[in-house]
Amino acid sequence: MGKTILVVDDSASVRQVVSIALKGAGYDVLQGSDGVDALKQLDGRRIHLIISDVNMPNMDGITFVAEAKKLPAYKFTPIIMLTTESQEDRKRQAQVAGAKAWVTKPFQPEQMLAAVSKLIAP
Amino acid sequence: MAFDDDEALDTFITEARELLESLEGGLLQLEADPDDVETINAIFRSAHTLKGSSGLFGLDHLVGFAHVMETLLGHVREGTVRVTPELISILLPCADHIHRYVEGVAEGRIEPSAAEVAESEALLARLAPFDSVAEVPAETAAAPSDETPEAAVPRAWNLRLRFGPDCLRNGMDPLALLRYLGSLGTIERITVDDSALPGASDMDPETSYLAFEAELSTEAPKSEIESVFDFVREDSDIRIVPRDQDEFIGRIASMPDRDRLGDVLQESGAVTPGEIDEALRIQRERTRAGGTVPIGQVLIEQGIAPPAVVEAALRRQLRTADSRSSDTQTIRIDAGRLDRLIDLVGELVIAQAGVGVHDRLSEAQSQVTRLIDEVRHSALALRMVPIGLTLRRFERVVRDVCVDLGKEVHLTITGGDAEMDKALVERISDPLTHLVRNSLDHGIESPDDRRRMGKPARGQLRLNAYHDAGSIVIEVSDDGRGLDRDRILAKAVDRGLVPAGAMLTDHEVFDLVFEPGFSTAETVSSLSGRGVGMDVVRRNVAALRGNIEVDSVRGQGATIRIRLPLTLAIIDGFLVEVGSSSFIVPLDRVTECVEFPADDRDHDHMNLRGEVLPFIRLHQLFGLDGEDARRQSVVVVEQSGQRTGLVVDALLGEFQTVIKPLGPLFSELKCVSGSTILGNGDVALILDVGPLITEYADLERTRYATSGYPGRRMAATRC
Repeated sequence: MGKTILVVDDSASVRQVVSIALKGAGYDVLQGSDGVDALKQLDGRRIHLIISDVNMPNMDGITFVAEAKKLPAYKFTPIIMLTTESQEDRKRQAQVAGAKAWVTKPFQPEQMLAAVSKLIAP
Repeated sequence: MAFDDDEALDTFITEARELLESLEGGLLQLEADPDDVETINAIFRSAHTLKGSSGLFGLDHLVGFAHVMETLLGHVREGTVRVTPELISILLPCADHIHRYVEGVAEGRIEPSAAEVAESEALLARLAPFDSVAEVPAETAAAPSDETPEAAVPRAWNLRLRFGPDCLRNGMDPLALLRYLGSLGTIERITVDDSALPGASDMDPETSYLAFEAELSTEAPKSEIESVFDFVREDSDIRIVPRDQDEFIGRIASMPDRDRLGDVLQESGAVTPGEIDEALRIQRERTRAGGTVPIGQVLIEQGIAPPAVVEAALRRQLRTADSRSSDTQTIRIDAGRLDRLIDLVGELVIAQAGVGVHDRLSEAQSQVTRLIDEVRHSALALRMVPIGLTLRRFERVVRDVCVDLGKEVHLTITGGDAEMDKALVERISDPLTHLVRNSLDHGIESPDDRRRMGKPARGQLRLNAYHDAGSIVIEVSDDGRGLDRDRILAKAVDRGLVPAGAMLTDHEVFDLVFEPGFSTAETVSSLSGRGVGMDVVRRNVAALRGNIEVDSVRGQGATIRIRLPLTLAIIDGFLVEVGSSSFIVPLDRVTECVEFPADDRDHDHMNLRGEVLPFIRLHQLFGLDGEDARRQSVVVVEQSGQRTGLVVDALLGEFQTVIKPLGPLFSELKCVSGSTILGNGDVALILDVGPLITEYADLERTRYATSGYPGRRMAATRC
């Protein structure tokens, strides 16, 4: 059984493209449309990696990461933030919250896969 | 196209439509309530998401456009750009533009049409004034490698990896990183350093204790190896050193000149930009702690670069410095700072003049005077730039206009190294363009006409600049048809500028072309027509405290001469007293000073060595209080070859005048060009001699024409 990745983004098309790329590389993928929706999925099931956007309605990515890190089951789960060049300060906040890896938007699926494989193997 | 998947693209299009709908709705809502933070956030998010998702599909056109919108909206969110109806009414068509493009994508058209590109450019241009967001859209492709192409040879690297203690807690698995490292090439050898591992009872299972030493053979450049550890770099100690240093040393030796050690090392590929930044940070910390360390030493100490490579780079840097030292050293200075310096020097000149009032004889004082004068000169020299660059721009103008008009003209530029104030250079460019165009349009004849007149088919246009007695003179001369004296005079009489039958010198006639309302569409001379107002040229030149004159021989050409001061900041003035007021006459206008002959007190002209010298009584002209002094003097000033006397009460001598511009309230004042502060704190007005004389002449003319009554007094504000 492959490893599971949770993809959190308010854009359905981003989630879909990332999912297709990750599934192609042999990962299982869960999706969340914002921080609140994603937190609901952190119900104790095994998740090996979380990929999250920063700017989302209802609950933004930084709050989501901070909340996720509080859950014992996901304390060590690596998190990749999707940031943009113009959001250096947001990147800093995300790192403080516990997301140490990032991919800069807009990105190509290959860049995303490279970042993922630095952190976990399929 | 970056990502081929029809299903995903369908999702994207649906999503984009929804986003645009909410974007449009949000903008309309914002128009009603410009301070609604929630709406601003939502709009920003829409643009942001659009940009992010379109990037995934390789829709670069949309990425670029949405990026500009996003940046602008980001500034709106931060409050640096205000929401105005204008902003909304430009953002709405922007949303429409994206909508149209998205619909195009839905029909299978990924590349924007030419019309769409043009539309987007027009919209971006309208967005630009709101914000400086016209930057290049973010790069969609992977970051370009800064390596030379030859880096594709497999090379051996030694890696020392000490991951931070929090590495595991942060979700970073060293094993995953090492596995990924292996994908770049071959890990020839790897050893684990467990020396930091404590006894089992003290060990925290969540802490990372292990370090690794690896030998990697790969074709990838150093920056790519380094990027493997991007996510852990902050709290880890990662060292990547080439095994074969000779290759880098060789590359450094054959490199073009570089000023900085870091640049040399970086370009050789031995060190990455990130490593340089780190070394600079360490160097700064040490400096703050009180020590100074060369960057090379930091690089060696930190194990970032091997000593032999750093040494090679140092040698290279030294060679660069040697070859540079012979070049002219220039620095670029912010013009504002220069102005401030010149302003301060000006204040110094004023303060020093104040000292002079009290202690005129001190030897030290005269030394200070001399020094200040030198400082003033060198400060002004900082602003001086050669006029050549401005003149050379006309090569293009001449070429283009000649093509348009079907004329052949050869442009000669001389004196391009004559220097003048930068501010003047910029402001004289427009008047010069007028003059050059006029010469080409009307001065120089068509090749056929020229041949008929026995001239070479190719006309000559000459731009010449030279220094003359504290001024700079710029001449525009051509060998065209010249000015038609008779027709100018006839036209002037026709327009009522000159009474019929007036006897005028050539100079006076040619001067008429600078009169307002003289230029007409009808070609009467080489210098008019086309509505290119020569009066505007003269006004521009006068605003720079310069003057303009024409010389011409009919059929042989014309020369227009612009005379300008070298700088606008300080002038040499001549200080005079009238009643209890002080005035400055620009020294370059003063030709001599004579005593006011008692016999001529009732006239308005006097005899100056056998010539008639008209004079102006400043006392009456400005309606000053008090009686005339018993013994008055006449300052003789010259303007456009015409001499006039100014009757004053006392001559106070030369005075270095720092010009303080008049406030906007007085901008209509014609005879006064500025003010200055005297050593004793009083204000003196600086007389603008040219307008003073012409205005006075006009007033006199009106006076004679209307009443004949010699009422000389008039209000200063009229002048």
